[in-house]
Amino acid sequence: MAKLTIDGGAIEVADGTSLFDACRLARGEALPHFCYHPDLSIAGVCRLCQVEVEGMPKLTIACNTTVRDGMVVHTRSEKVRKASQQILEMHLINHPVDCPICDQAGECGLQNQYMAYGLYDSQVAESDKVNKAKAQVIGPHVILDKERCVLCSRCVRFCNEVTKTGEMGIFNRGDRAEIGTAPGRELDNAYSVNTVDICPVGALTSRDFRFQKRVWMLKSADGVCAGCATGCNVRVDHEAGRVYRLKPRRNAQVNGSWMCDEGRLTYKDVHADDRLVEPSWRGQAVTWADAKARLAEVAVGGFALVVGSAHQSLEELGLLKLVAPGAVFSGGLAGSDMGVGDDLLRSADRTPNRRGLQLAGLPEHDAAALAVLVRAAKGAILVHGGDPAAAPEVAAALAGRQDVVYVGTHRRATAQAATLALPGATWAEKAGIFVNRQGRAQAFAQAVARPGQAREDWRVLAELLPATAAAPASLKALREAVRAQLGLGIDLDRLPADGALTGGEA
Amino acid sequence: MSFEGLPKGSTDGRRSPLESIYLWEVVKGLAVTGRHLVHNIFHTGEMPTMQYPEEKRVYGERFRGRHRLMQREDGTPRCVACQMCSTYCPADCIHITAAEHPDPAIEKYPATFDIDLLRCVYCGLCEEACPCDAIRLDTGIYEIAADSREKFVVDKEFLLNERTRGTR
Repeated sequence: MAKLTIDGGAIEVADGTSLFDACRLARGEALPHFCYHPDLSIAGVCRLCQVEVEGMPKLTIACNTTVRDGMVVHTRSEKVRKASQQILEMHLINHPVDCPICDQAGECGLQNQYMAYGLYDSQVAESDKVNKAKAQVIGPHVILDKERCVLCSRCVRFCNEVTKTGEMGIFNRGDRAEIGTAPGRELDNAYSVNTVDICPVGALTSRDFRFQKRVWMLKSADGVCAGCATGCNVRVDHEAGRVYRLKPRRNAQVNGSWMCDEGRLTYKDVHADDRLVEPSWRGQAVTWADAKARLAEVAVGGFALVVGSAHQSLEELGLLKLVAPGAVFSGGLAGSDMGVGDDLLRSADRTPNRRGLQLAGLPEHDAAALAVLVRAAKGAILVHGGDPAAAPEVAAALAGRQDVVYVGTHRRATAQAATLALPGATWAEKAGIFVNRQGRAQAFAQAVARPGQAREDWRVLAELLPATAAAPASLKALREAVRAQLGLGIDLDRLPADGALTGGEA
Repeated sequence: MSFEGLPKGSTDGRRSPLESIYLWEVVKGLAVTGRHLVHNIFHTGEMPTMQYPEEKRVYGERFRGRHRLMQREDGTPRCVACQMCSTYCPADCIHITAAEHPDPAIEKYPATFDIDLLRCVYCGLCEEACPCDAIRLDTGIYEIAADSREKFVVDKEFLLNERTRGTR
């Protein structure tokens, strides 16, 4: 442990801690910075985090200094204030200040730090600025504006250290220095939009989000990416019932600060044209009151077969087992939604909750086996989520049956095949828990309102419960019931911020 | 109760016999009306009433009338869809959707720019917020009428058009 004094206060940190982190602890906020990033190497190029260390002849950058016992550090002295102001002014010399058309405005390092540490009058006329290329498309997801860049090299380090693809580099010297892709290369790795997130200015912006919304209008909810079994922690940015983008939320145990480009686009499914937005009876839209009456007709003898899915939350899977205690249970199609994984974040399993399915004890079946189960069912069939009828064998088995109830989000094959289709909520429209490939239970919050007459799935399932079972009063009560049912030793309603392991093999 | 301090002529709610039959008071009132009538007949120029719409009041230079959108030299809107105005607007009456401009030097332009004139409070904060001097409330137009709510939502073309936007 090293004891040091920062701004007059004593603080003790572990040996080997960077002075930057120690200052963040002591001050309660980070030092001004552009190039420092907790998940990248230290570059020390922006020179903004300079602090005064007694005994050192000059100011020193905190990010590249390790703490030493007995250090006396000043981060708010006049000398430091002046230095950071001057460095900031230097960063802004050739900046075009085109904030009105810049997507970064509102979450921009230059804007925020100018307001916090700058507030000087510019000494550079607009006509004296060095002009560089603007709005260059450098990859399928990223657009580059060279003028706005402050050469912090975060994107270069990301491509070298995290994806190890090395597309980006800094070219030329002095005020001609600019960021760019290597000759003949595109920024086309599977994680390219992370460079947009870590770019502290508007040099790299997302093509998908381009001009869609000013960022200060967005509200955020903490979510978990439903794109694959990794369960990257995300921030769901939304406004007026629409999700505009997903941004990674740091969780050192799961995804670090990153997420893949494919996962970022999963929000488009929430607003797809084929969303199931009202109950439908034999293809005709009906009200919920009618749907309930029809339900009593269809499921008069209770459900004989219940098919869940790895796309549903842990609470819903637990509740599903209570709907029909004596039924045959299936977890849906085995091997459905598989893609290509890699050793960084993406899992080949493109469902968010296959581990949850296993926890809840719903075995998956291949198409032929599921078709056999469907044909053997001597009573109504309940399908919750997923799209088992996408497999021709299952679709053929379901065809002609008049006792199939589907609770789901999209009007796809299974919804078409069902006698009664009830609209549920997607991950953005409900709260719940997914168990990722590590067996880590992670909670996600509701971001936007449900479209049309769609309802939370657990409330829909509660309607289907037999008269003998008591419907859960709230999601909290349901979580407690599911915890007890699955014998989990963790409080599902108060999961820690980085999730909790449910046990079993990782 | 004390009525000390009440202005002269105030009563404490009780009327004199003459007042309580009202007739004399009505005659007094009519006399005032008649005096003004006769005065106005002979001094029409002093009357505050205006013969609107033939005659119109002249407002000051800084009067905030209906909005207009300014144009570049080539007739396209100056607006770059930064949405400062709609952010600042206390009445939430400006709705803009941005789009990519074919000219990379401009980059961003408003694909739609709608103002709901029924919501607008004519405070002028939008022109104050605008970094491009693209929106102004200097048309002097205060006659805003339509026969449906939808028609009060004016679009980009209307606000840009020289003929409909008015000039000053």
